[in-house]
Amino acid sequence: MNGHPQFDEDLDLLALGTFEAEEKRAPESHVGGCPECSGKLEEARGRLAALALIVPLESPPAAARDRLLRRARAEAARPLGTRPYGIGRWLIPALAAAAVVLAIVSVRLTQQNRELARRLSNLQAVSSRLEEESVRERAVMDLLTAPDTLKITLVSGAARPVPEGKAFYHPQKGLLFYAANLPALPTGRTYQLWLVPTKGNPISAGVFRVDAQGNGEVVLPTLPAGIAAAAFAVTVEPSGGVPQPTGPKVLIGAVT
Amino acid sequence: MLQTTAIDSTPEAPDVVLIRRMADGDEAALAALYDRYAGLVFSVAKRIVGDRSTAEEILQDIFHQAWRTASSFDSSRGSFAGWLLVAARNRAIDRLRRRQGEALDRAVEEKVALAASLETAAAQNLMLSKVRKVLVELPSAQRAALEMAYFEGMTHSEIAERTGEPLGTIKTRLRTALGTLKKAFQS
Repeated sequence: MNGHPQFDEDLDLLALGTFEAEEKRAPESHVGGCPECSGKLEEARGRLAALALIVPLESPPAAARDRLLRRARAEAARPLGTRPYGIGRWLIPALAAAAVVLAIVSVRLTQQNRELARRLSNLQAVSSRLEEESVRERAVMDLLTAPDTLKITLVSGAARPVPEGKAFYHPQKGLLFYAANLPALPTGRTYQLWLVPTKGNPISAGVFRVDAQGNGEVVLPTLPAGIAAAAFAVTVEPSGGVPQPTGPKVLIGAVT
Repeated sequence: MLQTTAIDSTPEAPDVVLIRRMADGDEAALAALYDRYAGLVFSVAKRIVGDRSTAEEILQDIFHQAWRTASSFDSSRGSFAGWLLVAARNRAIDRLRRRQGEALDRAVEEKVALAASLETAAAQNLMLSKVRKVLVELPSAQRAALEMAYFEGMTHSEIAERTGEPLGTIKTRLRTALGTLKKAFQS
């Protein structure tokens, strides 16, 4: 009587070999630690082995017997220490040990694989970010080093330390703007940079904050391409900026 | 020096004796076991792989392995004839699937407990008649699924795909067929 009837049908299917890899894991694992079910599995194999008897009997080529016996004779004639059948005494335990080692290695490799996949994903994210930053850095350098980039210094008439700004503008490559010595603004107010075109209304080039030293910047803001600039200006506006300048101009610089 | 012992290596000697003699290097014992089972092993392999040349290779490999590893064969824990039949089926299916470019996931031959001895032609015929009776009584769909699994090494999913039947139906058919086979051997 089998003490684990829930595995009875599985043992038959295990012997038949119809399980998919995942399906057979549980019964195989159980059989490995259950002598009773292991015996049942051997019996299931025996029943299935008997199925082979239904094939029409055919005789192998007559020469096959001679070939086998010649091969065996050649091996038997070797010195005892080199005879392969001696291997049988340790081959099965060695294979079993190797299987255990392989199973452990397999589990570890799976874990390592997952960890490597996670690291790869992180590296891809970092790589993607670096790529974006690199593109941005190249754009900045391209703008700064272009011979036809306009350099405009913006100043105020106030006493020192003098707030000032430097704009680097190229109609196709974009705009860089750095400000210095700007005073901190009250809550709810922000600096806003404006491109004043040769024709039409000022175009917002973005808002910016300043640090404790009064330094701020606007790097490659989104602007319409090909705009001819007449001047750049900085105004103080409500937080978030406004479509058109409303506040006082703190910096202004004309393109010369 | 090759040992030969006439008495223990006669064609009538039991498998267990012949295996022991084979482990001692007795070529006549190998010949006796070959004469007893080569037809069965070859026929099973031929039925699965479909050609005589590959079937003979499988036959040679299995008996050569038996010769080499006779000393490790524990006859108290398994039938030699059962081992030969399982080995023939497994290796033939491996060849078949490798030929089809499929990955192999088949365990090496393990211990097999045959319900009865196959050491004589009479014993083989008795077992054959029992198996035939079971197969004849199986519904044709169950028998077909069983033969696809047994002789082609197909999994549940592969049989379902081949027959166009739901996976659950195939599993039920195989479980039922194997249950019938089991009952027949228990009676």
